[in-house]
Amino acid sequence: MRRSDLGEFEEVVLLAVAALSPNAYTVAIAEELERETGNMVTSGAVHAAMQRLEQKGYLRSVWGEATAERGGRRKRLYTVTALGGRILEEARAVRNRLWDRILPAIRLEWT
Amino acid sequence: MKQDESKQNPIAEQPPRCCTRCINWLVAPHLREEILGDLQERYAHRVRTQGLLLARRRYWLEATAYVRPAFIKRQRSNNPSNAGLSAPFYNPAMIQNYFKIAFRSLAKNKGYSFINIVGLAVGMACTVLIFMVVIHETSYDKAVSGGDRIYRVETENIKEKYTYPGTYTGMAQALRTDLPEVELVTPMLQIHGNTLAIPNADKRFKESVIFTDNNIFNLLGYQWLAGNAERALVQPNTMVLTKSYALKYFGTEDVIGKTIRFDNKQDLEITGVLEDHPVTTSFPFKMLVSVSTLKTLNPDLDLNRWNGWGDNYQVFVRLKDGVLPDKLAKRFESIVVKYIGKEALSEKRFKLNALSEIHYSSNLSGRTANPGLLKTLSFIGLLVLVIACFNFINLSTAQALKRAREVGIRKAIGSNRRSLIFQFLAEAALVTFLALLLAGMVSMLAIQPVADTLSIPLSLADLFNLQTLLFMVGLSILTTLLAGLYPAFRLSAMSPMWAMKKIAVVQGNQWFSTRQGLVVAQFTVSLILISSAFLIKRQLNFFRNADLGFDKSAIITVGLPENRPEKLQALRNRLTSIAQIQEVSFSMNSVSSESNWMQGMEYRQGPSVTQVKTQMKMGDSHYLSTYGVQLLAGNALQDSDTANFKVLANEVFINRLGISRPLDAVGITVYYGDSKQFATIAGVVKNFHVNSLHQKIDPTLIQVVPNNFYQAGIKLKSAQPDRESIKAALTQIEKGWMAIFPGHVFEYGFLDETLAQAYQSEARTGKLIEASTFLAVLIACLGLFGLATFTAEQRTKEIGVRKVLGASVANITALLSKDFLKLILIAIIIASPIAWYIMNQWLQNFEFKIKIQWWMFALTGLSMTLIAMLTVSFQSIKAALLNPVKSLRSE
Repeated sequence: MRRSDLGEFEEVVLLAVAALSPNAYTVAIAEELERETGNMVTSGAVHAAMQRLEQKGYLRSVWGEATAERGGRRKRLYTVTALGGRILEEARAVRNRLWDRILPAIRLEWT
Repeated sequence: MKQDESKQNPIAEQPPRCCTRCINWLVAPHLREEILGDLQERYAHRVRTQGLLLARRRYWLEATAYVRPAFIKRQRSNNPSNAGLSAPFYNPAMIQNYFKIAFRSLAKNKGYSFINIVGLAVGMACTVLIFMVVIHETSYDKAVSGGDRIYRVETENIKEKYTYPGTYTGMAQALRTDLPEVELVTPMLQIHGNTLAIPNADKRFKESVIFTDNNIFNLLGYQWLAGNAERALVQPNTMVLTKSYALKYFGTEDVIGKTIRFDNKQDLEITGVLEDHPVTTSFPFKMLVSVSTLKTLNPDLDLNRWNGWGDNYQVFVRLKDGVLPDKLAKRFESIVVKYIGKEALSEKRFKLNALSEIHYSSNLSGRTANPGLLKTLSFIGLLVLVIACFNFINLSTAQALKRAREVGIRKAIGSNRRSLIFQFLAEAALVTFLALLLAGMVSMLAIQPVADTLSIPLSLADLFNLQTLLFMVGLSILTTLLAGLYPAFRLSAMSPMWAMKKIAVVQGNQWFSTRQGLVVAQFTVSLILISSAFLIKRQLNFFRNADLGFDKSAIITVGLPENRPEKLQALRNRLTSIAQIQEVSFSMNSVSSESNWMQGMEYRQGPSVTQVKTQMKMGDSHYLSTYGVQLLAGNALQDSDTANFKVLANEVFINRLGISRPLDAVGITVYYGDSKQFATIAGVVKNFHVNSLHQKIDPTLIQVVPNNFYQAGIKLKSAQPDRESIKAALTQIEKGWMAIFPGHVFEYGFLDETLAQAYQSEARTGKLIEASTFLAVLIACLGLFGLATFTAEQRTKEIGVRKVLGASVANITALLSKDFLKLILIAIIIASPIAWYIMNQWLQNFEFKIKIQWWMFALTGLSMTLIAMLTVSFQSIKAALLNPVKSLRSE
């Protein structure tokens, strides 16, 4: 498993693409992340992450429709590839296994 | 609700434009659509939810997030023609093609090419020559090692606000004892007009020599050929020569130990030979004599004087490392207190002037540069170059229509704009290169006349050194860009559709095109130069023809090496016996001179004292008749008036005393300063110009003081003597003079020529302006000629139709010339006030000057119009005479 391939922000973006599919594009994801985290997320950061993910083959993109809101420009819609899906699954499995090994007592103390 | 508002307000919908433009330019083209869309969408959301202000601020933040390599990096493309810098316009084959096309288009339009190349070449030659002059003048004394620590001690008269380059003779010793910060002190005393001769041989010359000490060699780093640099000028009666002077006197370089006799009095032993000095030194001393020799020449001489000084005695110092000259002001104050006295502190101040400034102020070499003139020169050089570049721009854009189809086809078959720009720049580069070759040749031919006119020692070697060649390369690149960029961008911007349709629209709806603007600029510059040249010429003529109040023609002046009365009487007898000579007068200096004896005089009327700063003229009884100075009242002086102090005053002097009628002034006594010594005014003379016309006429007194007679003025009988009679008179005078003063060198001058030297710098400026005027007019006319040719060509058909319909040749000539006339008129309107302002400033230099009048500008404007019309009409008439059958046939 090549974990180093997927940065933390990249993983979140990849997850968000999966969650918003089939309407995942830069602005939607940035706004979703802003809503979820409460921090400002620039579309540039998201875009850069998605570019890297696309290069790695985890994402695929097609031109979407143009809207007046975008000044008549098309948006680029992203979907998770099979490889991307598997990587997400793997990452989640790793986490789950680790979560499971935490003793219940400790988990209670946090809250 | 908010949404509606923003919909109604289209400005609110638009994010900050400049930011958008930046991002658009910055990010890679294939990402642009997505990125800009994202940015705008988020902006629109934010306007709705957070308000305009916050949305705009966020937009900036968002935009900066795109400034990263991932977005800026351009996509690699397999199709090279779309891929920015990998385009083939610097491919060798294309470059070859550019130049091939450039050559062809030059060869096709021989007339235009000729005008372009000649115009540019003249402009460039001008610039190159001026560059050489400026480089030469700024390179003085740069080779002296430690030069940044060398200074000249100068004497400032605080009240007169004037700093003299010379100082007291006591200064050298004072510096050695009272100024521990100096490392080296060297006095230099220059004396002109001494006779130096080889004993027992008939070889004698009049020279100027420098009395100095051994430190000068350490200070200035002269190159030695023979002799001991450490000890050469330690002993009295020793001297050091340069190589060429050793050859001049002895015909050999091996002269150590030989002697030269100084003024028939003292033999000086040669203890060293120096290499000839480089041209760019302010210390080109050929004969250096040890300063201790002065004592043997004149035992009474006090070399430690603190009263009175001359500009020919200068002291140079080298400060110790790290000493700032400004910090020494206190030291100099204490020197003033110690040697002159406390009360002199408010009058005298000593200052250090850096070696790098010596060439720009009065110095012992006699060659100085005027920074103002250098700046004017550089400016003129740039102007002429710019005018020449305007020609190129004008002619290239004028040819745009001819080239339009070429550009259209190139674009249609896939040439991009950048390669078209390169093609036109290549053409400009070719023209510039050819112009540079021509400019090189012109400079080679012109360098000697220029050097002579400006009296600057320039030679061909200065043209072919690395610096000048580099400058020429830089200049041609600059010229290519100056002249080529605008046409290149203009021509390459034509849309192929317009270009191919070949509609001959000559920018009909444009009231004033760039081209016309350039012509106006050219003629404005030319007109300013013409007006200036005209006014300078008039001022110089005014100098030449001004009534000076005395006679200057047919007067020969000769020097007097001795002025004992019996010698003078003998000389007078000799000279007056010569047939051509009318009158002889002995005097201190010329009637009008730049170096004068100033004396404070006092007129005491009981308690009230009138002080007058007066110029003293020493002359004998023949002074007035020789120089034709008019006596208004009283009696002329007698040669016997030496004991009783009688003087002649001029009108200015008596006016200062408050006396208006000359007769009232006769018999008045005036005192020398605050002393008891007085003189009686024996007569009053009419005002005559005792100074050059730069200055007012000083109050003047004439007195008989034979001790101070250094010059004889010899008036010839005929007012306009021809060359033969002058020559005959001169040989006679020389014979008589040599008989009285054997062992001296006979030198003579003509008074009118000597006087003209006072206006040398103005004459030089005048010549310069004249030359640049000629060039500017020439270049502007070349350009105008080209444009007129072009216009005539453009309108061939129109002219043909007009002729068929009955227009006369005069009609058509007028039609074609009218447009240009308009431009010249605009140029006259712009140029006249500028020229008036500049010349008014220049004329402020003179106390006696011409008045600037409106007709002078009208005249220059008229002559410019005439020149321009001549240039244009050549083409217009040619076009008007063309048979309409010919011009209408080709379709």
